[in-house]
Amino acid sequence: MRFWEIGKRNLKELYRDPVSLGFLLGMPLAFILIFSFAFGGQDTRPISLGIVDEDQSQISAVFVDCLESIPAFEVSSPIYKSQTEAEEELNAGGLSIYLLIPHGFGEAIEHHQASKLTLAYNQAAPMLPQRVMPIVREAALGFLNIPVPLNVELSEKQVEIKDEYINYLIPGMAVFGLMILITSVGGIMVRDRARGFLSRLMTTPARPSDFIFGYTLPFIPVIIISIAIYLGVGILMGLSIIGNFGLAFLILFIMGICCMGIGMILGTLAKSEEQASGAPWMFIVPLAMISGAWWPVEQMPSVIKSIAEALPFIHAMDACRDVITKGVGFTSILPELYWFIGWTAALFAIGIVLFRRSMAR
Amino acid sequence: MDAIRTFKLTKRFNSLIAVNSIDLKIEQGELFSLLGPNGAGKTTTINMLCCLLKPTEGTAQIMGYDTIKEPLKVKELIGVSPQETAISEHLNSWENLALIGKIHGMSSDAVKSRSGELLEVMGLTERGKDRVGKFSGGMKRRLSTAMAMVHAPSILFLDEPTLGLDPQARRATWEHIAQLKGKKTILLTTHYMEEADFLSDKVAIIDEGRIVAEGAPGQLKANFLKTRTMLISAENITDELMYGLKGRYSQVKEVEGKLRISDKKLDFRELTDYLYLKGATVHSAALEEPTLEDVLIQLTGKEFRD
Repeated sequence: MRFWEIGKRNLKELYRDPVSLGFLLGMPLAFILIFSFAFGGQDTRPISLGIVDEDQSQISAVFVDCLESIPAFEVSSPIYKSQTEAEEELNAGGLSIYLLIPHGFGEAIEHHQASKLTLAYNQAAPMLPQRVMPIVREAALGFLNIPVPLNVELSEKQVEIKDEYINYLIPGMAVFGLMILITSVGGIMVRDRARGFLSRLMTTPARPSDFIFGYTLPFIPVIIISIAIYLGVGILMGLSIIGNFGLAFLILFIMGICCMGIGMILGTLAKSEEQASGAPWMFIVPLAMISGAWWPVEQMPSVIKSIAEALPFIHAMDACRDVITKGVGFTSILPELYWFIGWTAALFAIGIVLFRRSMAR
Repeated sequence: MDAIRTFKLTKRFNSLIAVNSIDLKIEQGELFSLLGPNGAGKTTTINMLCCLLKPTEGTAQIMGYDTIKEPLKVKELIGVSPQETAISEHLNSWENLALIGKIHGMSSDAVKSRSGELLEVMGLTERGKDRVGKFSGGMKRRLSTAMAMVHAPSILFLDEPTLGLDPQARRATWEHIAQLKGKKTILLTTHYMEEADFLSDKVAIIDEGRIVAEGAPGQLKANFLKTRTMLISAENITDELMYGLKGRYSQVKEVEGKLRISDKKLDFRELTDYLYLKGATVHSAALEEPTLEDVLIQLTGKEFRD
């Protein structure tokens, strides 16, 4: 049980270094707090815009087409014919904001007369109309290439809907937190190599498998505790888990193992402690960002989206979000699961091969 | 059977030849020192013998086991104290020793008893339960040496075991290593020539990856230092006398008010007679003993630094 002895030692090194451990667990928590306070209540995905076309004219239809073509909007379907239908959807939480195109809109435009549009929004999202109004105004003034006297009125509605950002944030932040493991797994290996301790261990009869298990197993409890903390803090902050909690946990756990694999590769390739502690941040934060840890990736350039989708992180975040917020089951997330399990297996295999090679240079 | 044998052992790092075709033959129970300037290839040689580096050419055997073909057999027999202190900073001394002992398959009781002995010998008993990250450099090095010995290996590799130790701790480590002479095979590298002189049965001088001389310390000094040196304290040393001395002997220097005279054919009687004849008053004259460092400087042309 040589791996057990090496693992015990590494676990002691880990929990007896409160600064590193605090950083490992505390940094994602700090991010959760900062982001949830800074952006709480604000939905940063393409704005889901309802449209009520009371006018039903040719001009209003062209205007609706124009609005639908704007990437910042996700125009809900179908286009409502009456305000009552949109009100119901607003009350049900399916919409946060809708635009009312009143009777006579087309005629007023045709005759270059002043026209009035109304934006009705949920009072729980006070910033939303500030983002929507200039876009609507621009669209309305530009869609026929003629200046139209236009008045966009705001109408606040008292609707209680849940804060969705925390539901979005927590799975992303949990994956980001697990990505920090890369620096810890790699760091302990590099530190031991730089100080000659790994060389000392390599002169003992320990086999490559003893090292691989000895340097990774201590992080299993760290992964479990981290996930429990992130989800626990999330629940305290209003995260509503609709789906299977265990499945969400499993997704994050596999992601943690995947990050351990990356850490092992880093630990084998990095030449110095500085490289192991600094270099990972050059890819952890950008990768978390383009994978949608904090903001949706829909509005990012397609090249960036393609890169993110080729990597495992976005798949883990999406699968976790689908389970937590939409309640989807195991079979529905299988394509995502296959993707990052494949990555995990490949990264671990590469890590083992590189480590074995490093043992006999 | 020899404890350590190497056959044309060579290690290249790209275009640099760190170790160049060396043949070592170290008998069981022998204390063998590998001496050489920085970058001479000492640590690379040890790393190949400990299965940490693969030779580019040639082979090495430890107690008959090939370091490439049977590394696990080799690793069961050896204990290594690397040049870096190589200890686990967040563990205490007992835990560091237990880790190595248990990886070598020792029982908890055996590890405990052996660790107690070693901590005592190394003067670390009182601080045994303190985390070693708080230790001084000397204490860390003593623990590192103890970790190499905890599983009672038959062959010990000690890479600079006294580097950074104060004279007292260095002397204590020497004494402990001296006690192991004859019982263990020890391959030692050191910068301290008096250490190699005091401890070694045999010494090999390595420079630019090649063994340039090998033998017992006394034998090396006798073979390589043909020049004799005398230190003379005398009065009435005139310029004329100095001129005469320089004509007779290959090296004449004034060092701290004394004359330091070296020559291959230096004869004590002849020198003092000459000084007397030229009117000088000799107060004392002493023959300087050659040291291993003199041998090294003569062979490699390089001085050692701590």
